Amino acid sequence: MDQLLPVEIVEAGHAFPQALFACADLDALLRLKGAYVGRDGSHAAQLMELLKAAPKEQKRELGAAINALKQQWEEGLKGRQLELEAAKKRLASQADRWDPTLPPPMPAQGALHPLNRLMDRLVDVFRPLGFHVEEGPEVETEAHNFDGLNIPEDHPAKASSDTFYLAAHPELLLRTHTSPVQVRTLLRVAPELGKRGGIRFLAPGRVYRKDEIDPTHSPMFHQVEGMLVGHGIGMQHLKGTLDYALRALFGPETEIRLRPSYFPFVEPGCEVDVSCPLCGAKGCRVCKGSGWVEILGAGLIHPNVLKYAGIDPAEWSGWAFGMGVERMAMMLSQTPDLRLFFENDQRFLRAMGGLD
Amino acid sequence: MWIERKGLAQEIPAVAALETRQLSELLASLGFPVDGVASREGGDVLDVDITANRGDAMSHRGMARELAARLQQPLASMVPPTVVDGPPVVEVRLESPACPVYSTAILQLGSGVTPAEVQSFLLALEATPKRLPAVDASNDLLHRYGHPTHAFDADRIRGTVSVRWAQAGETLVTLDGVERKLVEQDLVIADESGPIALAGVMGGDRTKVTEATTRVLLESAWFEPKPVKATARRHSLHTDASHRFGRGADPCLAMVARDLLVGRLQAWCQATLVGAWTAGAVPATAKSVPLTGALLARIAGEPLPLAEAAEALRRLGCATDLDGGTLQVTPPSWRHDLAIPEDFAEEVLRLRGYEHIPSVLPPLEGPPEPLSPAYLQRQRLARRLSQLGFHQTVTYGFISPEADAAFAAAENGAEGRALANPLGQEYSVMRGSLLPSLQAMAHQNLRQGAREVRLFELAPVYHSGPAGPVERFRLGMVWGGTLGGEDYLSPARAVREADLMGVAKDLGWEGVPPLRALGEGLFGFELPIERLPREGSRVIPAFQPFSRFPSVERDLSLLVDLGQSHEALTSAMRAALPVDVLQDLRCVDVFRHKSLPEGRQAWLMRLRFQAGRTLVGEEVDGWVSAALAAAESLGARLRA
Repeated sequence: MDQLLPVEIVEAGHAFPQALFACADLDALLRLKGAYVGRDGSHAAQLMELLKAAPKEQKRELGAAINALKQQWEEGLKGRQLELEAAKKRLASQADRWDPTLPPPMPAQGALHPLNRLMDRLVDVFRPLGFHVEEGPEVETEAHNFDGLNIPEDHPAKASSDTFYLAAHPELLLRTHTSPVQVRTLLRVAPELGKRGGIRFLAPGRVYRKDEIDPTHSPMFHQVEGMLVGHGIGMQHLKGTLDYALRALFGPETEIRLRPSYFPFVEPGCEVDVSCPLCGAKGCRVCKGSGWVEILGAGLIHPNVLKYAGIDPAEWSGWAFGMGVERMAMMLSQTPDLRLFFENDQRFLRAMGGLD
Repeated sequence: MWIERKGLAQEIPAVAALETRQLSELLASLGFPVDGVASREGGDVLDVDITANRGDAMSHRGMARELAARLQQPLASMVPPTVVDGPPVVEVRLESPACPVYSTAILQLGSGVTPAEVQSFLLALEATPKRLPAVDASNDLLHRYGHPTHAFDADRIRGTVSVRWAQAGETLVTLDGVERKLVEQDLVIADESGPIALAGVMGGDRTKVTEATTRVLLESAWFEPKPVKATARRHSLHTDASHRFGRGADPCLAMVARDLLVGRLQAWCQATLVGAWTAGAVPATAKSVPLTGALLARIAGEPLPLAEAAEALRRLGCATDLDGGTLQVTPPSWRHDLAIPEDFAEEVLRLRGYEHIPSVLPPLEGPPEPLSPAYLQRQRLARRLSQLGFHQTVTYGFISPEADAAFAAAENGAEGRALANPLGQEYSVMRGSLLPSLQAMAHQNLRQGAREVRLFELAPVYHSGPAGPVERFRLGMVWGGTLGGEDYLSPARAVREADLMGVAKDLGWEGVPPLRALGEGLFGFELPIERLPREGSRVIPAFQPFSRFPSVERDLSLLVDLGQSHEALTSAMRAALPVDVLQDLRCVDVFRHKSLPEGRQAWLMRLRFQAGRTLVGEEVDGWVSAALAAAESLGARLRA
C-alpha cells in the first residue's frame, strides 16, 4: 500500500511515534498536531489532496489507508495530550505542596540564667512548706553582716583582704553571705513574732568575697539562705525539712547525711551531704568515690543571733541553712569552669536553660 | 591539718585496727572531714579539716581524744619525766595578763641528733626536720600534743626575760629573716636589749638555736588567743604556733609540755638540766554551765536521759554534776569553745552521731506569707523576656569607673559608690547602670559569632547617697545583630530601635523608653522596675464589655512632613473622632521615596471603628473626613 503514498509522507508516518514522544509540553504537541493533522499544509491535508486527485478505482483502497493513518495519528496525539496534561497537573499540585522538612521560621528562643533558674527552683521547693522570700541589700553594714551573726570582732573574714569595703563609708561593705538578711528580717519581725506564729523564709541573693577570678573562684557569687523560727525547734526539724527539700530537688531516692561542723551563727552546726545525685551514690568523680556530696551548711540558730534581734531564745528557737548556688549548679551540670556563669555566652545560657 | 596514722595510733592504739577509710568516716562523723589521704614515710597521712573553733583538735593527741570518746577506747598514757621546779636561773617577768603562765628550763646540750622516727614523723607531716634536737623536739611536741613551745639559745639572751607589750618603734628580726616593726599591741618576749620573740607567733633571729648552740632556754607558756591572732594578722605571719594559740591552746599543758621537751632533749642528745622554773600560774578553769533535760530534748528532737549525756560529756573530758533535772557541766581546760548550754547539747549529739537525730517536718504555727509583689514582678519579667527570646545574664555589681561614667546619671557621683579595696580598677565602682555590663556581654557574644544578641539583666544599681549607696532593682536589656534570614520565610534585616520599643511596650512601659545606641548595631535601654506595671491584687480583673457587632476598617494614605510626630498626628485625629466608636488608629506603613514631594513622606493611617450597633457607611465616611480634616490642619494632605 505504501507504494501509493508519497515517500516523504511514508517517512513522516514512520517518524511519528518518536516525534510524539519528543513532545515535552502541550505547545510542542500542538505544533506536531498542526504538522500531521492540521487543516492546511499538514501531512493529513496533503493526503486528502492526493485522495481527491486519485483515479476512481484507487480511491477506496487509498481512502482506507489514509483514514487508518490519520486515525493512528489522532489517537497518538490525544493520548500524548492526556499524558502531558496529567504531568502538568502533577507539577501544579507539587508547586502548591508544603515540605514540612524545610526549616521553618522559629520563634525566638531565650533563656533564664541557670543560676536564677536554680534559685527559683529552690523557692518552688520550699513554698509548699510555707516559706516566702526575703531580700536585703548587697551593700551592708558591718553590724548586719558580722556582729548580728555572732561573728567575733577579730574574725579573719572581716579583714580587707577578704571583704570589700566602701571607700567613702568605712562601716559599709559588700555582704559576704546572705545571712545579713536573717538579721534584718529577725529585727523586723521580732515585735510581732508571737502574733504571726514564728517565721520561715528563704533569702536568695548575690554575695561578694575578695577572691581572684579563676575556674573555681569568683568575687561575686550567689547563696540561698533558709531560716525558720518557731517554738521548740530542734535538729529534727532541720533534718526533716532538708530531707523533704533535697529529695524534692534531687529525686525521691536521695539520702541526706548531717555531719557536725562549725559556723559562728549556729549551735549546733552541721554540714549536710546528699547521696551523689550523679551516680546514685555508687561512687563517681564528683563524689570522689564516696557516694556523698557536700551541699550546704546549717544548724540551729545561735541564741546570740536571736538575742541580737530582740528575740528571747528561751521561748523561740529555729534553724538556718546556707548553700552556694554556683557550687550546686556546677556539681549538677558538671560545668568545668565557674567563669562560664558570668561570661553570659548565649550558647551557654540556652543550653543551660534546662538545668533542673 | 596532716595527721599521720602511725602517730595517731601511738596516742590511741585502738585505731591501728581501723582501715583508713573507716577512720576517715569516723572523723567526718565527729566533725573532722578528711579532705585527702597521702602516702608518706611508709604510711597513710590524712588531711583533716579542722574548724576554727577547735584549736584543741589540732594535734594527734587532740584527734585521739575525739576518737577515744566516740569509740570508748583508752588513750595511750602520756608520761612526762619528773622535772622539779626550782629557783629561776634567769628572771622571767610576766608583765601582761595575756601571758599568765610561762614555764621554762635551761639545758646544757650534749651530742646526739633527732631520732630517725621523729624525723620521719615530721617529714610525713610536711614539717621539715631541722636536725637540731631542740628545734625538732619542739616541733614534734606541737604536732603530737598541740602545745607550741620554743627553744632559745640561752647564751644569746641578755639579762632578765620579760613577757610584755612591745614599745612603739621597737623592731624584731623574726626567724624567717624579716625585720618586723612592732606596735604596742604586739605581745613580745624580750630580754634587756629588746624583743627576742613575737609571743605565740615566731621566735627571733638573734636568739635562735643553731648548730653552735650549747645551752637552750625552753619556753612553754600560754598566751591569750586574741593578741596572738591580732599579731599574726598584723604581720601576715600565720604559723603553726599562732594557729594553735590563736584558737586557744590548753593552759594546763604549759608545764607538761616543758617537761616533755626536757625529757626529749635528755634522751636525744644527752642534755643535762641546768634548772627549771615557772613564772605565773595556770589561769582558773572555766565555770560550770547548766544543761537542762528540756533544752537537750528540744535540740536532740527526743528526750535523752541526762545521765547518758553526763557520761558522754565525761568521755570528752568535762566534769559533770547531775543535780535533779539539770546537769552542771565544766569543760576541760583544752575546750575553749564550750561556753553555753547549747554547746554541750551539741557535744552530746555529736558523740552520739548526727545520724541518730530523728527527721520531723516543723509544724506550721502561723499562716504562710505570700511572695512579695516586687519579687513576683521580677520573676514574671524574667520569664516574659526569656519567652521573647532574651537571655538572662548575671554580671558583677562592680565595674570600671570609665564604663560607669559613660552610663551613670550625672547626679550619681561615683565617689560614693567606690570600693576601698577593689580587686582591680576594672572592678572598683558599684555600678550606676546595668548597660555597661550588658554592652560588654553583647559585644563579646557578637565577637564570638552570634548573628543576633538579645540579653537582659535584672539586678540592683547603686545611687550615691549621704548614708551610702542606695540600691534599686533595674531591668536592663540589649538587642543587636541581624534578625531573620535563617529560614525561607523571614527576610534578613538589622535590629532597629523600633524593635526595642516593641519590647518596652510589651512589658507595659508607657511612652518612649530611654533608648541608647551602644555601637556595632546594638541598642539597649534600662528601666526602673517599679515603674513597670505589676499584676493587680484582684484575682480576675473587672469585666470590660466589648462589641459583638462588625468593625469597619478604613485606610487613609497621607503625605506628611518628614518631621511629623506620629503621636501629635494621631492625637489630633483622635480628638476629631467619637471616643466610643474609635477602636484603633495607627500608622501601618511608612513610605519614603524620591518620587514623593521633597520633605514629605507617605503614611498609611488605619482607622478601625466599632460600636454597639451595625455602623452605616455614611457615618463612617463622615468620621474619616473629620479625621482627614484634623490631619490636614497639621499640614497633611491626602496622597493622590
